[in-house]
Amino acid sequence: MSDRYFISDADLRGLAADLLGAGTEVIAPVATDICQSPSAIAASACSLDHSLVDIDYRALGTADQLDLSRGLPQLSLKGYFLPEHEALCRWKQKGTTTEVIEVPTEFAPRVVLAAKACDAAALEVVDKVMNWDYEDELWNGRRAATTIVNLTCPMIDDSCFCTAVGAAPDDVKGADGLLTPVAGGYVYEPATDKGRALAEANKARFSGDVEADTLGREADDERAAARERVAANLEIDAASVRDWIDTHFEDPLLSQLAIRCNGCGACTSVCPTCHCFDIVDEQEGVGRGTRRRCWDTCQAPTFTLHASGHNPRDDQHVRYRQRINHKFAIYPLKFGEVLCTGCGRCTRVCHAGQDLVEILEAIDIAARRPGDDADPAADEPAEAAS
Amino acid sequence: MTADFEPRITAFVCNWCTYTGADLAGTSRLHMASNVRIIRLPCTGRIDPLFIIKAFERGADGVIVSGCHPADCHYTSGNYHARRRFAVFHDIMGFVGVDPRRMTFSWVSASEGAKWKDVVDQAVSNVRELGPFEAYRALAPEAVEAETVGSPGAEVTP
Amino acid sequence: MTEPIYTGVDDLRRIARELLEAGDVRVIIGWEHARRGARPVFVSDPAETDKLIFDTRCVHNLVTYLNPRRDAVAEFGKIGLVVKGCDVKAVAGLLREAQLTRDDVVLIGVRCGGVLEENELPAALALTPENVAPRCYGCDNREPTLTDHLVGEPQPEPPRPVMTIDERVAVLDGQPLEERWAFWTDQFSKCVRCYACRQVCPLCICERCIVEKTQPQWIESSSHPRGNFSWNITRAVHLAGRCVDCGECERFCPVGIPLSLLNRKLQHIVRDRYEYTVSDDPENAAPIGDYRLDDQQEFIK
Repeated sequence: MSDRYFISDADLRGLAADLLGAGTEVIAPVATDICQSPSAIAASACSLDHSLVDIDYRALGTADQLDLSRGLPQLSLKGYFLPEHEALCRWKQKGTTTEVIEVPTEFAPRVVLAAKACDAAALEVVDKVMNWDYEDELWNGRRAATTIVNLTCPMIDDSCFCTAVGAAPDDVKGADGLLTPVAGGYVYEPATDKGRALAEANKARFSGDVEADTLGREADDERAAARERVAANLEIDAASVRDWIDTHFEDPLLSQLAIRCNGCGACTSVCPTCHCFDIVDEQEGVGRGTRRRCWDTCQAPTFTLHASGHNPRDDQHVRYRQRINHKFAIYPLKFGEVLCTGCGRCTRVCHAGQDLVEILEAIDIAARRPGDDADPAADEPAEAAS
Repeated sequence: MTADFEPRITAFVCNWCTYTGADLAGTSRLHMASNVRIIRLPCTGRIDPLFIIKAFERGADGVIVSGCHPADCHYTSGNYHARRRFAVFHDIMGFVGVDPRRMTFSWVSASEGAKWKDVVDQAVSNVRELGPFEAYRALAPEAVEAETVGSPGAEVTP
Repeated sequence: MTEPIYTGVDDLRRIARELLEAGDVRVIIGWEHARRGARPVFVSDPAETDKLIFDTRCVHNLVTYLNPRRDAVAEFGKIGLVVKGCDVKAVAGLLREAQLTRDDVVLIGVRCGGVLEENELPAALALTPENVAPRCYGCDNREPTLTDHLVGEPQPEPPRPVMTIDERVAVLDGQPLEERWAFWTDQFSKCVRCYACRQVCPLCICERCIVEKTQPQWIESSSHPRGNFSWNITRAVHLAGRCVDCGECERFCPVGIPLSLLNRKLQHIVRDRYEYTVSDDPENAAPIGDYRLDDQQEFIK
């Protein structure tokens, strides 16, 4: 089956334009600026470059907004599947009766172009919990309606570590196809029926079989090189890290690693796999309101605050331990997948200097330490993480 | 539409002076604009700036905060504390673009029924001139949600 | 042009070591050099005091670790804290509000001539108008008085940034209301309600934040523009006359809301109305919670 296509730079933009023309929402990296108000930019009221937010996944207004020249989008794709806040239902009360108005759970088809592999893979990881004891219709509805096309990532910086947690910069996990930059354009490789359908429906933009030609080899080389670059940043044995964390709940290493954390929770906001939410009822005047869910964070003290006033995670280092524990032990033990795709956003966003690369390295070293009798798993032969 | 605009104004007043003053305005049969809904609190010192934000959130076009004159506070100093708090709030709301004329602050004593009438009439006329506070309503969650929830202006039925 | 590495680092390390060795403190909280630049470090072993650094990358306000919410930090026992002039004001704030007693902490002051806006750098840089943290301009506490030790040479004034925060505030002040509204609602709409601004603030000390109250719910907790407006205004107002301008809220904001402009405006308000400037004197009462009989009331009918 011929399953590799060439698409030129111009045709990729053309594809975005075609999709937009057909009324399909297209989400892609778009250059943004900290000041969105034109008057503010004109007046230079705001030139805070230090927090310049220069690229993010946005719904394209026009195809020329598509920007493939910059680094990692500020926020992951998560928000397009689990919005920061969304209505679950609305209610109206009249006398003693309450009318509940459901929200739609079917969504119009949309396409994500040039997603990062770490962001797409995170969706597949989170699919597990979203379909565990309860099938989350809103999540699943958005997943089903979305075709995701990844773009092989050249690696952002030394905080990237996707290859250490079973992902890769050219992965198609969670995605429907992959673009890899080659001379003059991209090689497109569909990975699912949705990915193939995208190429089929837009035949004019794609050209023939590039399997055996130089472009195909160029794409393969680029993919291999990207993997190698990321692998140089961090190498851990995810299985022994998992087992060490699972058996060292009270180990002082974990609190030492967490002490500088300020509990700001920014890491969980930018994380593509952090998916915890809170459900709140927001009243709109008398007798009506909306039940919404909104992002929550395990780093907030109230996350585990009991009605009694007791808080099992009553201090920040304990909450930080929970984040590490959930990602690298609890989730893998429950669902067989690490709840992290190595995007490195948490490290880059942390202004207190919490560094997940360093932390995983430290745990990996502890897990490999021989003669650690508290940890039966440490004696098992180390296996490659991926 | 704007010609028919009847401002909705929430007044937060203290129990001891302004509420009694407003009562006097009523018993004196003073005619005044009927756009103001009064919420009685023990003291201006009890009025948190969040009350004002909440009033705007729930669809108020304007807000009045009123209490005892300086030196008259039933609790000695509640109004002095309130004066500083509202000065800061008044200025910062202006800085983020809320027209200060939507927020009226006044001292109205128990014997100043006529002043209460003036305060109310002036506040209503200011807000009438400014029109509905659509800019604040536009902050409401996306239209798809708001549609079912209904526009705040239509919020009459219990 | 100022030196990127401030003087007195040797003294800083010596004092830290002596304090730990004598058992006067159980931990020193200062800055260290790490993979991604300078960051906070907790040193409890006297042999490790050489980790401590102080240079233009040391932007963090470490006073946030003195916050009464930080039980694990308190468990160390008595703390030795390395502080810049701006940070000391936050210590004064905690003392003023009875969140700390002076004997709880040994303050090692570092004479600072300004810090960088961007601190995630492999090495310190000399300050220039382009790279200096704008808040450093006009620093009035280069000779802090509240500290127990003060190290380093007296420093010159930090360079004037390309555009000062006051100038930015003035630009907004000069705009019509509608434009200011558009600017701020735009900025607030980016808020993801992570509350990073609150968590890092050395003076956000409430046991239970108003935004976490749900019965009644005063501030809507989902991140739509209306809830965001309420949150951001409330956060700012609660810090009126208390904010020490350490800039941590803005630095930690993952979506880049220019909170320093809001904070600075509040400083202007309390300065203009109550002649109040935040200082490192804990006896100097904060303007909110205090009053004078003749306070301005031109906005009151």
